Amino acid sequence: MKKYIIILLFCNLSLLGCSEFDEDINVNPNIPGEASGTQLIANAQLYLPSISSSPQGEFLAQYLAETQYVGVSLYPEGSTSFYWFYEGPLMNLQTVLNSEEDLNASEGPVANQLAVAKILKAYFYWNLTDRWGDVPYFEALQGADNFTPAYDTQESIYMDLFDLLKEANDQIVPGDIDNDLVYGGDMDKWQKLGNSIRLLMALRLSEVNPQLAQEEFNAALADGVMDSNDDSLVFQHLADANNQNYWYQQVIDRNREWWALTVNLVEDMKPVDDPRLEVYGNPARETGEFVGMPFGETEALGTEEYSLLGSAITAQDAPIYLVTYPQVLFAIAEAAERDWVTEDAETYYNMAVENSILQWTGSTEGVDAFLSQPEVAYDSANAIERIAEQRWIHLFMNGYEAWSEWRRTGFPDDFVQPEGRAVPTRLAYPDTEDFNNAENFNAAVERQFGGEDSIYGNVWWDE
Amino acid sequence: MRNRITLLSFMIAILQFMSVQAQERVISGTVTTAQNAMPLPGVNVVIEGTNKGTVTDFDGNYTINAETGDVLSFSSIGYKTVKRTVNTEDQIDVTLEADLQALDEVVVTALGISRDKKSLGYATQEVDGDDLTIAKDQNVIGALGGRIAGVQVTGSSGASMGGTQKIKIRGVNSIGGGDQPLIVVDGTPISNANFAGSAGADYGNLGQDVNPADIESVNVLKGPAASALYGIRGQYGVIMITTKKGAAEKFTVQVNSSFSVETTYDFMPLQNLYGGGSSLNFRTLPNGDPYVDISVDESWGPRMDGTPVRQVFSFYPQDPTYGQLTPFVPHPDNIKDYYETGYTFNNTVSVAGGGEKTNFRISLNDTKIDGVEPNTHLDRNNLTIHADADVVERVNVSTNVTYARNDAQRPGQGSEVGANYLVQWFQRNVDMNRLRDYQYDDGTFLHWNLRRPSSETGEITNFDPLYWNNPFFNAYENLSQDNRDRFFGDVGITFEILDNLSLSGHIRGDLYTQNIQERTAFGGTSLPSFYIGKFQNKEFNYEFLAQFDEEWGDLSLNASVGGNIWNRNYTYLSMATVGGLSAPGFYNIDASIDRPATNNYLLRKQVRSLFGLVSLGYEDTFFVDASLRNDNSSALPEDNNSYWYPSISGSVIFSEFMDWDPMSFGKFRASYAQAGSDLGPYETTMGFGVGTVYEGTNTLFVPDNLNNPNIEPSFAHSYELGLDLRFFDSRLGIDLTYYEQKNKNQIINLDVSGTSGFSSTTINAGLIENKGIEVAITARPIETEKFFWDTNLNFASNESMVVELAPGIDVYTYSSTTYSSVTSYLNSYEGKPFGSLVGTAYQRDEATGQILLGEDNMPLYTDETYNFGSVLPDYTGGFSNTFVYGNWRLSGMIEFQGGGQFFSRSKMLAVRTGQDPITVEVNDRGANVRDPLEDGGGVKVEGISAATGQPVSAYVDARSYYRNVVGRRIYEEWLFDASYIKMKELRLGYTFTKDILGNFPVENVQLAVIAQNPFMIWQEAPDGIDPSAISTGSQSISWYESGQLPSVRSIGVDLNITF
Repeated sequence: MKKYIIILLFCNLSLLGCSEFDEDINVNPNIPGEASGTQLIANAQLYLPSISSSPQGEFLAQYLAETQYVGVSLYPEGSTSFYWFYEGPLMNLQTVLNSEEDLNASEGPVANQLAVAKILKAYFYWNLTDRWGDVPYFEALQGADNFTPAYDTQESIYMDLFDLLKEANDQIVPGDIDNDLVYGGDMDKWQKLGNSIRLLMALRLSEVNPQLAQEEFNAALADGVMDSNDDSLVFQHLADANNQNYWYQQVIDRNREWWALTVNLVEDMKPVDDPRLEVYGNPARETGEFVGMPFGETEALGTEEYSLLGSAITAQDAPIYLVTYPQVLFAIAEAAERDWVTEDAETYYNMAVENSILQWTGSTEGVDAFLSQPEVAYDSANAIERIAEQRWIHLFMNGYEAWSEWRRTGFPDDFVQPEGRAVPTRLAYPDTEDFNNAENFNAAVERQFGGEDSIYGNVWWDE
Repeated sequence: MRNRITLLSFMIAILQFMSVQAQERVISGTVTTAQNAMPLPGVNVVIEGTNKGTVTDFDGNYTINAETGDVLSFSSIGYKTVKRTVNTEDQIDVTLEADLQALDEVVVTALGISRDKKSLGYATQEVDGDDLTIAKDQNVIGALGGRIAGVQVTGSSGASMGGTQKIKIRGVNSIGGGDQPLIVVDGTPISNANFAGSAGADYGNLGQDVNPADIESVNVLKGPAASALYGIRGQYGVIMITTKKGAAEKFTVQVNSSFSVETTYDFMPLQNLYGGGSSLNFRTLPNGDPYVDISVDESWGPRMDGTPVRQVFSFYPQDPTYGQLTPFVPHPDNIKDYYETGYTFNNTVSVAGGGEKTNFRISLNDTKIDGVEPNTHLDRNNLTIHADADVVERVNVSTNVTYARNDAQRPGQGSEVGANYLVQWFQRNVDMNRLRDYQYDDGTFLHWNLRRPSSETGEITNFDPLYWNNPFFNAYENLSQDNRDRFFGDVGITFEILDNLSLSGHIRGDLYTQNIQERTAFGGTSLPSFYIGKFQNKEFNYEFLAQFDEEWGDLSLNASVGGNIWNRNYTYLSMATVGGLSAPGFYNIDASIDRPATNNYLLRKQVRSLFGLVSLGYEDTFFVDASLRNDNSSALPEDNNSYWYPSISGSVIFSEFMDWDPMSFGKFRASYAQAGSDLGPYETTMGFGVGTVYEGTNTLFVPDNLNNPNIEPSFAHSYELGLDLRFFDSRLGIDLTYYEQKNKNQIINLDVSGTSGFSSTTINAGLIENKGIEVAITARPIETEKFFWDTNLNFASNESMVVELAPGIDVYTYSSTTYSSVTSYLNSYEGKPFGSLVGTAYQRDEATGQILLGEDNMPLYTDETYNFGSVLPDYTGGFSNTFVYGNWRLSGMIEFQGGGQFFSRSKMLAVRTGQDPITVEVNDRGANVRDPLEDGGGVKVEGISAATGQPVSAYVDARSYYRNVVGRRIYEEWLFDASYIKMKELRLGYTFTKDILGNFPVENVQLAVIAQNPFMIWQEAPDGIDPSAISTGSQSISWYESGQLPSVRSIGVDLNITF
């Protein structure tokens, strides 16, 4: 108190020094002023499950039907925000990439920290552009330097992401990094992941630019892709409410038995005794049988009559499969079929299915018998379709990815049109872009979709 | 408790002591007018320096107990006050002269400087403490509603008990909505913080810790001209509260007790034809019995025609109706039945007095409220002490201390909690009275919303509620408790160096500890949890002030110089369990299943100020004021933290040189001023956010708001012109003000495109221009021998225009709300009035304006960007009247608002869930709209086909129409005009004067019947939605309503005894 009286008398009366406060008075003691690169990367990794854990994605791939409150599965027009990609993981990763000089090598080689940031950045941007089309990229994540970034074409984003992934591959040196939630710092696995993402991205261009697709595919393959399920990018949830599975929170915590397996899925799996079905769903409570629910049904609703999400899927500590070894195998099988590579398509197809069953059930028992059934066995006459159908079954609960593959290949070709509405071919941009970034937003909509920001425009690679 | 008893016995002792001391006798007399010698009723006769007083009766007679040496003061509006010293006589008759000036009022202005009201060059409006408490409103902010032109109070329902009352002075002055005025009590700025969010329990604004019964007067400094001396804290006006003091050489004891009963009213009308379910037919159990679909929280089910069915209770094996079929009938009052009668018991005792050189007042208040929601209560205590003493010649030491205590268990607000969801999601057939006993003897909780029975056994085995808890479970198990201990006040010393020069120093403090606990119990829809928070505030002002007064002939000078340091230290500690609780009933952070969420926080801020004020007067007719303040804020960037705030004002009393009989007084005033507002600490530098910990790995993230190292304080420039006119011996007074306030460089968190990596950034932006007029009319239209009528009308109209936002930004989203993936916004657009409501509208045919219909004949709607215009009212005001007939006094206060609009989600969802009467209307084919289309049912839809452009008139399925389209997506349908006229307060009182009370050992007894919110006189919005209580908690602009608490009417009696 004495201090204040002295300040009052002298500072005020003399008008000197009034504006000089204690040095630390405006320094926030409640949050850290510095962050390490790997802590920022770790936080970006916490967003990985959000890439797949969303009912919308499952509806777009028609894995799940709504048992109540039917709405989103009817594909209403409406915007979907992509801000969380930028504000969340991408800004953390960009901050790491921008602060190369400040990164601390005691948490692992700086080159490796940067490589991991690049691989994750590529993964998030890849998902982003696949869903919406053109998005801000080159001018994005610049904070006050640019609050209204321009939208870049999907093509230019793909090209830059290929370069980014190549850079990451080339700069990896021996030495683990700290605070890695998905691979425990194992840089070999990161390297394989980066190249596998590149491989899958290359395949995505099979229709729009097959030549480039083939080149990139082979380059990625040569740099080394995943070679076991252990290499897959999997986010492991924990039996802990702070790190729990989205589907647990919805179905178990909040009593939302809102999702049942679709007829399409059950009818593809049940007749061939697919061992994965028991993981994907539970038998209907009413009959004890696996019963699929018609997708887009609005009248005959119920939670007793249909197979709801499987207990393994809704477990609190369920793993979320994001980029998996079987996807790489399916890709190689398809590339072989397209004569991009010399490998044997059937061999890779069989390996893909086997590893998918291993991933989901933990066992390969009976796989040979399963694969020998005509509905499942490799069919060279309809190779692309067969591969795509098995890939669709494998990608269960990674709906957005499965939907992208459906958009690219057109398979499975029996998707339902709920109430006559076609399956969307993209997500509409967030409405708030019309408030916050109107000029660039309008230019992007005009350029790609003739002015209408709808869920039915086609993105660049989806011709 | 023990302390309270001790204090009470102390007071009783004082009472006894006084009755021995007093050597009073009865003085009586008659008061007449000087003009025509008519008796004058209603004249206040007060012994100066005390609260003892009486009022003359119809015949102008009074009696009062007084001692030799007492000074009696006779005052009445419109008359000059006369003072008489009691000598030996027992009868004192007086004549009162009409007061032509009527304005020798002294008002307390900024920094507590007392000024002659007539010399002020800016608008201030004062309310007498007694007027604030006519209906015993416990929140001083709430009590101001309608009483001051240009002051708009947004209340909360009485059901919230001590809930938030928000105040806006002269419209919206801040784009971000943070324009709450500063509250100053006896010179001490106090916190009016609010711990409530817009949902959950409403802990109320902290300004309510002032006991209204202690208030002598409230003076509102409406704009920067009046509040410029508060500099960086004065931009949004100041509410100056002066409390009652004791008086020399007199003891007064006052006891005030009131008791009131609170009841709910104005429920939204709902249909009573169709019950719970989603189709017109019952579902059936394996044995063929029909049952109510209890998994559906809507009322689109079968007709409630008495059909015997299995209802929810019949599935509980513990229930007496287990397995039985009961008639399927409506329960029309099933929402109303949830609420109880509330009670408020309010007692204040005050003792005031003093000696030759001392003066004190102590008051003690105890308030107990039992809420209208089950199991809610609020207990409050206030202890207020004022004392001052001349310790030596020319040196006075004084102190004011208030201790306030609050202890409450409050209802939640918002549509997801308590019983507020019922109007949105419920079955019309559920008997609320059956839900009251919410737990069976074996511990099983009774809920109404469960999974369907097994289609094999017909039984329910899982009694966990599906989406909604039994509201009584919410009320008795999911508790929200809070308490607060608070001290505020000052100690000061004043040294009168010369007769015209004084120096004073004050230390002022405001210290509180707020505790909040929230429980979520086992057995409900949510994971059990426990939250505890402790919030501590320490705010000190250290100030000195030198004041100089001198008159040289016709010239008068009044000058002040002062300095102030404001220092705030605020900390909190908050913790919440994660992942559930380890044991039922163990509400402790220790019970957290997973790593609990914890947070500790420290805020430090200092503002250093220096200020000066000079007032010059000439011939008591011309006045000029000028002031200047310098503020240095620690929250601003280090190298740019010092700002200056000037003001200048002047006035001319032109009636002095006009000779026009009807006008008794006329003043013209003009002013210009600047005031400011800064920001919280730590907002000029960036840090990192602490993310979730994953198996021992601490994650950190880049925060979503981008702080700004170049921020400046916001500035308001205000111009004001005013006229103060009095006519007919001051029986009619008109006060007119025109103002313009330009609020520049607002500090806002501007939403930016998330693609920048940030969701918002702190910037200086914008210019909001407010223009408006204020009219305050006071009149005594009727005055006869026995009767008079005083009336007061306040009216204000304001336009808040967003002239500029930030460069390159032409929209600012103030707030948004999303339901079922449909969002509406409260936006500001450059060049448009503040606060545009934006959402989905009908698509309309350009040529005819008719609604466009899709191929299924359902209305088409726009995307979420349709601008419906401003939500702000065109005008606001209040109309208060007092009728006095002898000892009877009737007072009423009416509040009104014209224009403005809001979105009602309650109404929308009542329609969506088939509860609203519109969903059971009979169509023009004579069938109920719910009947199948082929039977003539359906809602008639008319419009233009979007595909063909041809007019369409068709019938569509009612459930699809209301539930999936109109009641879910088309916000245009659910916007309502917010105009209303509301009877806010009523009081009918009778004063028992000495001549009635005879030898009773009391001076005066007043008994009154009081009512708060007795009824809504008129409103444009549909029944069941109170447009005067739209916003919840801390939400500062009323623009949407969802799950509003019910309206509460309070009626009671109020007893005042003066000893």
